[in-house]
Amino acid sequence: MKKITVDDVSLRFRMYHEVATSAKEYFTNLFRTTKRTTYSDFLALQNLSFSISDGERVGIVGRNGAGKSTLLKTICRIYEPSSGKVSVHGRIAPLLEMGAGFHPEFTGRENIYFNGAILGYSKKQLRAIEQEIVEFAELEEFIDTPIKYYSTGMYMRLAFSLATTVHPDILVLDELFAGGDATFVRRGRERMYNMIDRASVMILVSHDQSLLRSLCERFIWLDRGKIVADGDVSVLDQYNAS
Amino acid sequence: MSDKKIFQYLFELYEFRFVLQQLVRQQLILRYRRTVFGYFWTLFNPLLMMSVTAIVFSTIFKMDLKTYAVFLFAGMIPFSFFSASVVQSGQSLISNEGLIKKIYVPKLIFPLGVSVALLIDSVLAAAALFVIILVIGGNLSAALFFIPVGYFLLFMFSFGIAMMMTIGTVYFRDLQHVVGILMQALLFLTPVLYKPEALQGKVAWIIALNPLTPFIELFRAPIYLGVFPEAQIVLKAALLSIISLAVGLWFFRKYEHRVAFRL
Repeated sequence: MKKITVDDVSLRFRMYHEVATSAKEYFTNLFRTTKRTTYSDFLALQNLSFSISDGERVGIVGRNGAGKSTLLKTICRIYEPSSGKVSVHGRIAPLLEMGAGFHPEFTGRENIYFNGAILGYSKKQLRAIEQEIVEFAELEEFIDTPIKYYSTGMYMRLAFSLATTVHPDILVLDELFAGGDATFVRRGRERMYNMIDRASVMILVSHDQSLLRSLCERFIWLDRGKIVADGDVSVLDQYNAS
Repeated sequence: MSDKKIFQYLFELYEFRFVLQQLVRQQLILRYRRTVFGYFWTLFNPLLMMSVTAIVFSTIFKMDLKTYAVFLFAGMIPFSFFSASVVQSGQSLISNEGLIKKIYVPKLIFPLGVSVALLIDSVLAAAALFVIILVIGGNLSAALFFIPVGYFLLFMFSFGIAMMMTIGTVYFRDLQHVVGILMQALLFLTPVLYKPEALQGKVAWIIALNPLTPFIELFRAPIYLGVFPEAQIVLKAALLSIISLAVGLWFFRKYEHRVAFRL
């Protein structure tokens, strides 16, 4: 049973106004009688509670800065909530932003292994899917070349192919991506839908109305860190009307 | 922190062992990829540095070059490992920022990867040095079997400090510059280039209090003197490494959750 439970989760962000605090500033601030704060707190998520169970396809909508991406990152354990609890059953994987974990000096193959390892795959499992990734990316000739020599298209194809070959139970998507030449985009879309079909749970953050309507049946509307509404497609209509 | 939690923590680390393996590989291979001598630089580098130091200081101290070289090598092996792991771990989270902000990975894995890679470097460099030591007349004795124990204790001690350094550098980026200078100072305040007895007078207490001193002895006794280190020194080193590891782990766990916000 794959399930996500978000229980009374708040997340406080500390915004630092300076580029970086240095040790010198830290220590001089210690001795200052009137404290000059170099940061301000703001609540990115405020007492959110909901749960998502097996088979659900959830779209998260809201204006810029509503906390959509922060919520996704909290579910993926990248951010630890300031209070409350997130529990996730099942293997969860954010769709890595195009080649986020790529190392330019590594060859394509080495990058497949490194990223695959991070996504929770064993060496054996990776060996089994390696060929599929390479073939889909159409990189048979260049797979043992360091990826810093790749063209943008090659790089994108490898990233996309890797991201869509791994099959997490819980799929988390932050805005869909498109890249490469026209045929690749078409093949890519097919593969994308295929991956979504195979995932037990999908969470999608997007501004693309038609995409949201075609992929999701439940919508959570966030505004300034709070849930405004949570329900079927009528929530999306409400949001659009607002 | 309850016992159960710490076991969970370590188990999670174990589950990510394949990532750790990849990180170590990354560390070991990348530096020397596409250089003519490749990985051999790892061995040549300390060798050349130490040879120059040996020539200069044996002259200053008016000691026989060969004897001094063995003495110096034996002290440099643990010191270099300590220094490198503390300095390089400091960078480990910062240089993997892109990853840490995109996907969940137990963060301890980054400084651990650095330390393990450096341990491999150090063991291989030590083996190469040892061949040279044998050629110029070092002691081949049963005491050498103590070296793995020495490495084990040294690793725990260094890794404890490295964990604190890793978190510290995320909060205060200045540390990465300060630590280099500190390590340079520490080299002179640790009996690596000279015998512990040589620094008398006002600064002798520094040597006595320097936590690195017993670790140098763990390597110097078997390699230079061909004897097992005294039990008292081994105990002291063991105690220091346990404290360092415990404090380091506590500190790391306390602050790692906030790292994603500070990077």
